[in-house]
Amino acid sequence: MKKILVIDDEAIVRMSCERALASEGCEVKTAESGNVGINMLENEPFNLILLDMKMPGMDGLEVLKIVKKRWAETKVIIVTGYSTDQTAAETLKLGACDFIEKPFTPDTLAASVAEALKK
Amino acid sequence: MKRLYFRAEESIKAKLIIAIGLLIIVGSSVFWYAILHKQKTDIMSIAVRYAVSFTDYIKERTRYNMLNLHSSDIQKTLEDISLAKGVERVRIFNHAGKISYSSSKEDIGKPVDKDSLACKGCHTEINKSPLLLPEQQKWGFYKDSEGFTALKFVEPIYNETACYTSECHVHRKEEKILGFIAADMSLALLDEAQFKQGLALTGYVFIFIIAISISLVIILYKIVSKPVSELAHGMKMVAEGNLDYSVKVFSRDEIGLLAEAFNSMTKDIKASRHKMEEWTRTLEEEVARKTEEIRKTHASLVQTEKLASLGRMAAGVAHEINNPLTGVVTFAHLLLKRVPPDSEDAQDINVIIEQADRCAIIIKNLLMFARASATEKGEVNVNDVLNKAVFMLKNQEKFYNIKFKIDQHPSPLMTFGDFSQFQQIFLNMLINAADAMNERGTISVATRKIVENAKPYAEIEFTDTGCGIKKEDMSKLFEPFFTTKPAEKGTGLGLSVSHGIVAQYGGNIKVESKEGEGTSFFVRLPLKED
Repeated sequence: MKKILVIDDEAIVRMSCERALASEGCEVKTAESGNVGINMLENEPFNLILLDMKMPGMDGLEVLKIVKKRWAETKVIIVTGYSTDQTAAETLKLGACDFIEKPFTPDTLAASVAEALKK
Repeated sequence: MKRLYFRAEESIKAKLIIAIGLLIIVGSSVFWYAILHKQKTDIMSIAVRYAVSFTDYIKERTRYNMLNLHSSDIQKTLEDISLAKGVERVRIFNHAGKISYSSSKEDIGKPVDKDSLACKGCHTEINKSPLLLPEQQKWGFYKDSEGFTALKFVEPIYNETACYTSECHVHRKEEKILGFIAADMSLALLDEAQFKQGLALTGYVFIFIIAISISLVIILYKIVSKPVSELAHGMKMVAEGNLDYSVKVFSRDEIGLLAEAFNSMTKDIKASRHKMEEWTRTLEEEVARKTEEIRKTHASLVQTEKLASLGRMAAGVAHEINNPLTGVVTFAHLLLKRVPPDSEDAQDINVIIEQADRCAIIIKNLLMFARASATEKGEVNVNDVLNKAVFMLKNQEKFYNIKFKIDQHPSPLMTFGDFSQFQQIFLNMLINAADAMNERGTISVATRKIVENAKPYAEIEFTDTGCGIKKEDMSKLFEPFFTTKPAEKGTGLGLSVSHGIVAQYGGNIKVESKEGEGTSFFVRLPLKED
């Protein structure tokens, strides 16, 4: 079973991701901030991270850099509510495999996750 | 009203007339007096000459009778002579003053008045020897009883050989003067002639003065007075501000030249005034133009600032709403999967999903609007931006039935700004065009170089064959949230955002539209000057 970590400061987004991916047969864990997420990664490996860009404290871009440095095999999908072409291009360059804009449908999310895990 | 008469000290005409008139009168009077005087003198001297020959004649006539002592003949001769016209009296008296013969018999034997010219002519004192005997003292003029001039002439009878050798022995040889012939002659005729001549001369002089005065007045009026009054009138008119007034030039003399110079001066003043008015007007226009420019710039700045703060707020709101919206969308979809399809529940859930999607679109537009303030700027070729925008839309479902007509300026049109912002504007314009034509028709796109207010601009024209814009909507086109599209299609932010971005770079957007025929949008961005 694939293990997925959702890092987002918004509880409703974490819940949405959990519920949308549960039916796809994935194990989903959540973290409410970048720091908590990094701590969890240190304790157990994850196949994929759904990462919010804009968070209080450590933001998505910083978390992405740390993850790609320390857990290079872990896939990252950026989930954001506010993006520009520039930020999208930058995250992809830093190693994110996809970029999903909020609000997303469960199907969009599942398709993107499935695609990322296939790589 | 023009003043016709001037006081003497004010008018050149009057001064000249008085001066010249006085000269003529004085001159004529002197001339008149001199003529009269000369005439009188001449007449007198002629009269004296006649008197001389007259007494000589008496002497000759009486000589024979004197030598032969024919007293009655002498007396007779004198009486005869005195009958002649103009001869008043002829007397002969001896050296002692006793009258021997006279044309009037009653005088005979009487003594001559001792104070009369007959004695005083030679003797300053009676009974003394004569001091001198000058010619002129032999005669004298006096007024007779009728008031006419009369001439008294006294001729001495000198002793001659024949006298003292005569048989009568009346006179001795020693006597120098034997007696005198005294003639009184009336000059009444001469008086009359002189009076008549004087009268005629006075008349001539008077006529001469009148004629000269009239001629002088006419000449002065024509040569001096009229042109000078005309000039004075002209100066008054010009001084009062009538610069169109032109003085009539009567002659080529100094006054004529003065009038010409005055006219030319008036023309110069008029030209200068015209020029000054022109400058003032240009200045006013320039000030008005600049004021309007400043007002527009200010309005544009205010609008841009308004949009920017609205954008910041929208970005915050949009971002916050996206999170709960994610929950709504996700759980609605999950719920949909659990209810039987086509059930009433499924339909209800679909409504929730549709409305959530609408919210998502609104937020997306709001975010696009917000992005106007956060940008990356650099040199951008307008042609490249347009190509990319068209390329992005060409294969979208919305544009399947739309024909593109593209006419680009052959050389790159470089402007300064953010590529993606401009792209967003062009996408907006193209989507608006497609919506206006109900996704069916032709969109003509052209880029060109233009000059507006002496500055070069790149102009991008988007013309559709759509429904056009209603006149009452034209003024509201660029207001945020103004839209004519159905609610699910537009937020009314596209044009507002575009306008904000273009204004930020010193450009503008113009619209031309005919209802039922189509609309043209002209986006103008300042060209980067080489």
